[in-house]
Amino acid sequence: MANEISDSFDPEALVDAMAPLLGLRQTPESRAQTIVHLRIAAEQAAKLLSIPIDDQEEPAPVFTP
Amino acid sequence: MTPALLDGSAHAIATAVRTGAASAREIVQETLGRIEARNGALGAFTDVTTSRALAKADAIDAARARGADLGPLAGAPFAVKNLFDIEGLSTRAGSKINRERPRASSDATVVARLEAAGGVLIGSLNMGEYAYDFTGENVHDGPSRNPHDLKHMTGGSSGGSGAAVAGGLVPVALGSDTNGSIRVPSSLCGLFGLKPTYGRLSRAGAFPFVASLDHVGPLARSVGDLALAYDAMLGRDEADPAQADRPAAPASPTLEVGAKGLRVARLGGYFSRSAEPGAIAAVDAVARALKVAQTAELADAEQARSAAYLISMVEGGALHLERLRTRPNDFDPDVRDRLVAGAMLPGAWVAQAQKFRRRFRAETLALFRDVDILLAPATPCRAPRLGQKTFVLDGKEMLVRPNLGLFTQPISFIGLPVVTAPVWTEGESLPIGVQIIAAPWREDLALRVASALEQGGVVRAPVASLS
Repeated sequence: MANEISDSFDPEALVDAMAPLLGLRQTPESRAQTIVHLRIAAEQAAKLLSIPIDDQEEPAPVFTP
Repeated sequence: MTPALLDGSAHAIATAVRTGAASAREIVQETLGRIEARNGALGAFTDVTTSRALAKADAIDAARARGADLGPLAGAPFAVKNLFDIEGLSTRAGSKINRERPRASSDATVVARLEAAGGVLIGSLNMGEYAYDFTGENVHDGPSRNPHDLKHMTGGSSGGSGAAVAGGLVPVALGSDTNGSIRVPSSLCGLFGLKPTYGRLSRAGAFPFVASLDHVGPLARSVGDLALAYDAMLGRDEADPAQADRPAAPASPTLEVGAKGLRVARLGGYFSRSAEPGAIAAVDAVARALKVAQTAELADAEQARSAAYLISMVEGGALHLERLRTRPNDFDPDVRDRLVAGAMLPGAWVAQAQKFRRRFRAETLALFRDVDILLAPATPCRAPRLGQKTFVLDGKEMLVRPNLGLFTQPISFIGLPVVTAPVWTEGESLPIGVQIIAAPWREDLALRVASALEQGGVVRAPVASLS
């Protein structure tokens, strides 16, 4: 799982697709830095997703009506 | 009164005011003079609430003349990170954009509670923009500077809180801690800092960052003051839906019980791998003093850090999306581009992170069946130089801004209470902190251990000499 994410992840494509969807204007400098942070996030996600989580596991926040 | 009183504790100031050895007005005037003289170098205060502080001081002096109860913080000055609402000020949260917000119509709950206990609010403090920061640098207000060496960072994002307390401007300051923003500046500025259990203290009137992980708490130069401020802020607040419905449990009454009988272990594995020798030596010193023989492992700490990292990016990105869309040039670029990246991440990662959070909580609570206190470094190194963008940890070059909180993030991820205690090593000009971590709702135990270490001279938080 970990390597699948880091090997196939294309942060340039993600930025270019998501910026117009979110209505974000990016300069070349901010695009480059956003890509740096997306790469770091993908590394963090690869670590997190290396741990299998059962379907039945509850997330931490529980809404109390 | 003597100026030395301001280098001491809030407790000592309150005692002096109660006994008439000093008036609250004298204390405030002396404090304002110090801020005038030192704030240019420290970059700690962004607003000084002079007339409010003098009016409060006069009210305290008048109450004393009447023989009224002045409260445990009688006349003790305090200041707050500028994400806490202060009536009449715009809550800037370290940003340029928020200065256009309407002025706050009331104080944040914790500010009101410290004042109700006799504390005197002196002003608001510099911070990293929108609290997304571990450096204490701020592109709009300038950096807060480490009082022990002005060329170095305070750490952040509660950087002004660290600078104000270590610089002797106030004995107590409030900060917030999402991933380490109380514990990192406490470590780098040589202070005691308390990040209480998630949901313990009211966040009402504090500008948010990551709702899942935001905490508020005090920084101080003594454990007694930490407990005094914490106790004053306890109590149910219906205005904060994230606050847990738990009875207030003051920590001051048991502070002197000490560490005897408590089972203490140091955290190994992840918590020793990326630390510089100075960080490990600090834990060694504390562990030696407490006669700690056992090492414990939090097997998934690295993943816990990753999960906290992703939750922060996504919740932070979502919180600021509209501002990122309409005001991108008014952000600190270092903060903006992290938030933009966060707004673009897959929701599945965060859903997984929140599920993992419950799992990691269960793993950690199992550990607390056999121990009462866990020790870990607070930061991987002493204060980096101002402007330093990268450092090398465990042979790998990393960005400073996101990675100073490497050891704090897994702990706040599951909301455990932590006292950061500062260690000074002979031959070093800068301090470094150790995290004293307790099970949920046991702030009292972490404070007892910190107090025992303070009594033994193992940890200490002196005012910096700014010469």
